[in-house]
Amino acid sequence: MKLLRFLASAALMLPLLTGVAHSQANDPTKTLVIAVPADAAGLEPGINKAEPIGSEVILNVFDTLVAWTAPEFSKLEGRLAESWTVSDDGTTFDFKLRSGVKFHDGTDFDANAVKFSIERTKAANSYVQATFGLISDIAVVSPTEVKITLSKPYPAFLSILAQPQSAIVSPAAVEKLGDQFASHPVGTGPFKFVSHQDDTNIVLEANPDYFRGAPKISRIVYRIIPDASTRRLELENGGVDIVQQQGQLAAIAAQDLEALKSNPAISILEAPSQIIRQLEFNNSSTTSPVANLKVRQAIAHAIDYDGLLQGVFAGTAERVYGPLTSNSWAFNSKMKEMAPKYDPAEAKRLLAEAGVDPASLNFKLYSFQGSLWGAVATFVQANLADIGINATIEQTEFPAYRALQTAGQFDIALDGRQPWYNDPDAHITIGYLSSLADTAMTFRMPKDDPLDQLILKAQQTADQEARKQLYFQIQEEIMNRVPGAYLFSPKLIVFERANVKGLVVNSAPPLNEYWSVYKE
Amino acid sequence: MISFILRRLVALIPVLILVLVIVFSLVRLIPGDPAVTLLGPGATNQQIEALRQQMRLDEPVVMQFLNYVAGLFQGDFGTSLKSGQPVLDQILLRLPATLELSICATVVAILFGIPIGVLSATRPNSLFDHFTRVFSLVGVSMPAFLLALILQLIFATYLGWLPVSGRVSPYIVVPQVTGFAILDGLLAGDWGAAWDAVEHLILPTAVLAAFLAATLGRFVRNTMLEVMTEDYIRTARAKGLTRAQVTLGHGLRNSLLPAVTVVGLKFAEMLGGAILTETIFAWPGIGRFMFEAIKNRDYPVIQGTTLVFSLIFVLTSLFVDLLYGVLDPRVRRRMK
Repeated sequence: MKLLRFLASAALMLPLLTGVAHSQANDPTKTLVIAVPADAAGLEPGINKAEPIGSEVILNVFDTLVAWTAPEFSKLEGRLAESWTVSDDGTTFDFKLRSGVKFHDGTDFDANAVKFSIERTKAANSYVQATFGLISDIAVVSPTEVKITLSKPYPAFLSILAQPQSAIVSPAAVEKLGDQFASHPVGTGPFKFVSHQDDTNIVLEANPDYFRGAPKISRIVYRIIPDASTRRLELENGGVDIVQQQGQLAAIAAQDLEALKSNPAISILEAPSQIIRQLEFNNSSTTSPVANLKVRQAIAHAIDYDGLLQGVFAGTAERVYGPLTSNSWAFNSKMKEMAPKYDPAEAKRLLAEAGVDPASLNFKLYSFQGSLWGAVATFVQANLADIGINATIEQTEFPAYRALQTAGQFDIALDGRQPWYNDPDAHITIGYLSSLADTAMTFRMPKDDPLDQLILKAQQTADQEARKQLYFQIQEEIMNRVPGAYLFSPKLIVFERANVKGLVVNSAPPLNEYWSVYKE
Repeated sequence: MISFILRRLVALIPVLILVLVIVFSLVRLIPGDPAVTLLGPGATNQQIEALRQQMRLDEPVVMQFLNYVAGLFQGDFGTSLKSGQPVLDQILLRLPATLELSICATVVAILFGIPIGVLSATRPNSLFDHFTRVFSLVGVSMPAFLLALILQLIFATYLGWLPVSGRVSPYIVVPQVTGFAILDGLLAGDWGAAWDAVEHLILPTAVLAAFLAATLGRFVRNTMLEVMTEDYIRTARAKGLTRAQVTLGHGLRNSLLPAVTVVGLKFAEMLGGAILTETIFAWPGIGRFMFEAIKNRDYPVIQGTTLVFSLIFVLTSLFVDLLYGVLDPRVRRRMK
């Protein structure tokens, strides 16, 4: 007992002994607090698998050779590369690098670091095998020049180089830290890594020597707050400055949006995304009722697209007309006319023409979990009921859902795709190339030589204009086949305290840079 | 006494092995693959297969189990499939946060629950009794997330006295020595940081304690009402003992046995089962860790946390049994 009392008093005395209480509190106006729903899966570019939170941290700690230019994100600009040229056959990329850039550990950035980083990712990252595997050679021409050669043309390669997997790491730090590099990332970016407490926070501090100029804030704290209503309360109370809508499912609910809109202390940034959500048919099946084109057309005409956007999303999602979102550079504006219009009478007529009695159709409507998907499924179910089709909603946990989808055990399903790099290829190849039909969650397109040829040609055509025309043609071909009903594209929404300025929401893919952000 | 403890500890081994076998097979029976979950909807089969090989999930389940058990004997709980970090390190990292919360909640619950139970039992059907019975009914039946939301709204949003969530303010930087936020603040000589940690602790403690205090209050009241009708209480009164001596020395002491069991089991439960509270208050504890692991199908983490929980649970019940001995001389004699 005496010992306990001694320990207790010793603990209380300690602060007095160590002298003046020195609060290392940071200036709140210089610290940006960002709420995210889950911890980062990792901060190591070499093994990044496009998980959003870790990817965003990586893009703020590291630099890539090129990056998409704000605010349109439709043109690439040089970052660590000052300029670059692409050979006419689209296989050789020559980069002229910025000189005088230093890593956070003080070592110099040069062509060797580029070669080291890209080869490291190529060797370690199974996720990017399909694209990094195309790299046949990386040659250091001089300390500021590097030449990357591909085994076949792949125009989207520059877009891949803007991704976190292509971030340039400090070779010296990798050698020194070994396995520890993953938890102590060292790059050239606007922010230096300070600490990562699992499930609690990730702290970054400004890099005063950043080559584009020091950031305006001195510290970023990512706070991991899994509960959506807690994130909202924290934002309203000023406990966090920014709340991201990560993936839309774990996001602040649409009904909260109205309440937050009327709060003068909070501003809302909205940006169109390249995410597409659709009602998908099992296009590979020959026995399903949806194997009949007329049945697919009928279902596509049964859906009240505008009603869905208004009723379920209250303006937080946009219309999507075809296989690409309207903000893509390859979007074919003819899609707006080709997209099926909401017309239940036409839907019924099509079914009658096909000789199908709607009452004979009994679908299981598969969907992801979560209240938002539930609301979408219920809406679609009601639309189908209007033309006499009965559908039962099956909200399925993701891993089980994926197994069903890739095995083709469904007729109709809600699905979606969030491209992990900014190129039409990210939607078209995985979505519609028949050889990939059951290797991922795709539209399960049946073997279709003309369409497959077009897709492969577009993937490898170096000339941008020719490529665009190919994608125009592909979109029309796909629309004629009615592989699904394109439902909506959720907007990227960022809630911020009104005194936070300078953030530009990146639509492609949604990974924000905080270099330009400041607090008033 | 020591042989009693030893016997109980040996009896633990088959329990833990059984837990391990059940968990190991159960997590692999739930549909879904960790590689699929980690890579998300856009992944191709090729990407998933490559990751499965990397995670060594392509080996036969029996081999996986044997490798895992062999590792356990060397203190290796495996590495998390999501983060690649050692599981045991990650559990130990989160243990202080969970302990801090459960200990505070248990102490608060005892400080409120037992006096409330005693006072209601000594004044049955009084206004106070009715009031506390309603309170405990609400406390037992109100879901944690609702109580948490109400408290957050009142104390954080309207009054602005306490923070909404988290363990320390993001503006405060204190070196981590013990992992206990309050202690680390004191060790760093930073009163502000220590007080900040206390402020963050209040709401989640209140939510966890409310349930336990309510349960405890009802328990103590009911057993005490029974005990107070016993012959030895009448004898004690007849001996001329004061009211306080009768109530506390004879009544309460004899009502405490079931209460100790409740507190012990609830404490063990809190260590692993405070998932909702930890999630709502963004509290970086083990409950949340396990929950996330289940969502991600992070097999080694699910196995590791389950194993640690089982261990804590069995050790707590052993401790409770020992406490029986302290409170009840009859039990003490049987232990010998």
